[in-house]
Amino acid sequence: MAKHGFGHNSPGGLLRYPEQPPFPLKEYSAHYDHIFEMMEELEAKGEILIHRITEEHQPIEVFTRTGRIKTIPTNKLWHHKSCGQCGNIPGYPASVFWFMNKFGLDYLNEPHQTSCTAWNYHGSGTSNPVALAAVWLRNMHQAWKTGYYPLIHCGTSFGSYKETREQLIMNKELRDAVKPILKKLGRLTEDGRIVIPQEVVHYSEWVHAMRYKIADLYQKEGKPKGIDVSNVRVAIHNACHTYKMIADDYPYDPEVYNGQRPAASAAVVKALGAQVVDYSTWYDCCGFGFRHILTEREFTRSFAIQRKLKVIAEEIKADLIVTHDTGCTTTFEKNQWIGKAHGMYHPVAVMSDVMFAALACGAHPFKIVQLYWNCSDYERLLEKMGITNWRELRKEWEDTVKYIADLEKAGKYDELMEFFKEYDLYEPYSRTSTGKPKASATANMPLFKS
Amino acid sequence: MDGHIYGYNLPISEKTKAVPWEEKVRIVEEVKSDFRFKEYIFGCLNCGVCTASCPSNRFFDYSPREIVQRFLEEDVEVLYDMMHEYIWACSQCFTCWIRCPFVNNPGGLVAIMREVAVRNAFEATKDLLKPYGRVLLKVMTTGNQLSADMLQPDFFPDWGPKMADNMENLRAKRLAIPFDVGKSVKTAWEVSLETAVEMYTIWRETGIFEMLEKLDPNLYNVIMDIVEENEERYEELYEEEE
Ligand code: SF4
Ligand code: SF4
Repeated sequence: MAKHGFGHNSPGGLLRYPEQPPFPLKEYSAHYDHIFEMMEELEAKGEILIHRITEEHQPIEVFTRTGRIKTIPTNKLWHHKSCGQCGNIPGYPASVFWFMNKFGLDYLNEPHQTSCTAWNYHGSGTSNPVALAAVWLRNMHQAWKTGYYPLIHCGTSFGSYKETREQLIMNKELRDAVKPILKKLGRLTEDGRIVIPQEVVHYSEWVHAMRYKIADLYQKEGKPKGIDVSNVRVAIHNACHTYKMIADDYPYDPEVYNGQRPAASAAVVKALGAQVVDYSTWYDCCGFGFRHILTEREFTRSFAIQRKLKVIAEEIKADLIVTHDTGCTTTFEKNQWIGKAHGMYHPVAVMSDVMFAALACGAHPFKIVQLYWNCSDYERLLEKMGITNWRELRKEWEDTVKYIADLEKAGKYDELMEFFKEYDLYEPYSRTSTGKPKASATANMPLFKS
Repeated sequence: MDGHIYGYNLPISEKTKAVPWEEKVRIVEEVKSDFRFKEYIFGCLNCGVCTASCPSNRFFDYSPREIVQRFLEEDVEVLYDMMHEYIWACSQCFTCWIRCPFVNNPGGLVAIMREVAVRNAFEATKDLLKPYGRVLLKVMTTGNQLSADMLQPDFFPDWGPKMADNMENLRAKRLAIPFDVGKSVKTAWEVSLETAVEMYTIWRETGIFEMLEKLDPNLYNVIMDIVEENEERYEELYEEEE
């Protein structure tokens, strides 16, 4: 294996280092790097096909923890959605789509995908690496088949996929176990190879790569609306599964604590001109714990309140906790109210980086950012940002909900469809990758009838 | 002797004591034979950094250092005992992994141990996973793990009154999201039939259905009804297209 280091490029260009370290690095070897060279070797042997990031993806380069250059595609993206976001915090993915529309980027949002299933695995142990790998490779094959590059919305999917990729590259026995399954599914290339993306890319890395464009949009569209984030004090919470799982492969940047902290969400907050404020338990997890949020809720509550919310409120008096994973957002959000019972109520707004960025750029707080679903104290933040008409905006959204509910109850579906033609910002399944009308696995089932 | 002079101070349960030695060895060997085992444990300074940074250690009698140490000592009795309840304290945050000077991954070891406990249908596992049934039902039949209707206020009274408000008129609220990221209520997004059927093949081929049958036969039956119905619908659709 080639010796890695600064100035090193792998033969196929997947592994790249700048000439000089971009920020001070600790003395450690880059544990993850060898997989890029091994991917190139496996491709040369005809075992795998690497789904490459090309010019049409309008790539932007960022640095990882070890100083490696990671290529982030920004255009022509296949949205690998997050069950947690879509199911629970819909303003999160909606804000991602809103930005992509604003920037005129091409993307595909289709129903031919599953979640990664890793929440289930980490919470209950009821899966195994072969199943996780098969689910991942199925989804990645689907993205490749459509010609769009996968963008992973969920932090846990991102961590789990990075880990699964390393396991697959390093273990022939895992590749051998998963290949016959993919063959059965028709999820190998025509010449029998498995499809592996060049980089596993999280949406927060996309936001990181796009931060200056987002900051421009804020100047052009947010500010003229009277929005000002310069006084907003932000506590950053980095999600464990984005930066502790396969730790080498997440952005670090000289502009964020001189490369000594994960950069993604902090960098966009800084680029917008808000204040990133440090606190002593930045390193701690949120208390989500996968199964804990369902079955050990006293742990989740205690941890979220005592180790994070209390510290953030007392040490730095933050207006906002910025997150980039569903589990953390939910945990901080939903575990504030209960603190009242114990005199430990630390109300602070909680939302993801992309939701905060969308608000700054003038997105509708309820129609787009969907703050209606949030339980945390977002109103004070909106006031501080200058979005003082939030009551009217909220009423506007509530009226829309009522209008939809009334039409549906009255069975006026034609009118409803007409309304959606104007109202929807993205026609849902107009571009399924097969071109066929979709058949839903869920819509007609008695247990799942929506 | 119950427990250890230092470290694993929990008494070894009577159930563990009653299990034949060979069976305990078999289970521990099943963990050690996992291909990830050698990638997750290299050596151990016994420095305790993993435990010091472990969130679960703050609230439970639980220590990742202990798990690593017991594997290195091949302490079969303790490891077998840990696999019943102890390991379910871990919150899978992997703080231990990023902090360990040896790059050991105690959280990863826990994932393997949980998987082996589930696969072998340990009684404790069955009880521990009961509240997880709804997630399993969703994930195995639709490939989605969380949906809007799962956040029922009566299940989460500690989340406050806002939850009840959110659930009111839920379907209209989901339809009012102007992107297709949540128009469905009972799944996170609408999953195509083709995708769900592919998923069932994965569960069959990787032994997930089999594992579930041992773990919770009732849940297994409910899931299989949905799976079979969807597979039939898919067949019909496919025939129509032919
Ligand atoms: S993964 Fe588990 S053992 Fe490791 S730090 Fe987190 S809770 Fe502790
Ligand atoms: S941090 Fe690593 S070396 Fe230290 S006790 Fe934990 S496993 Fe052992």
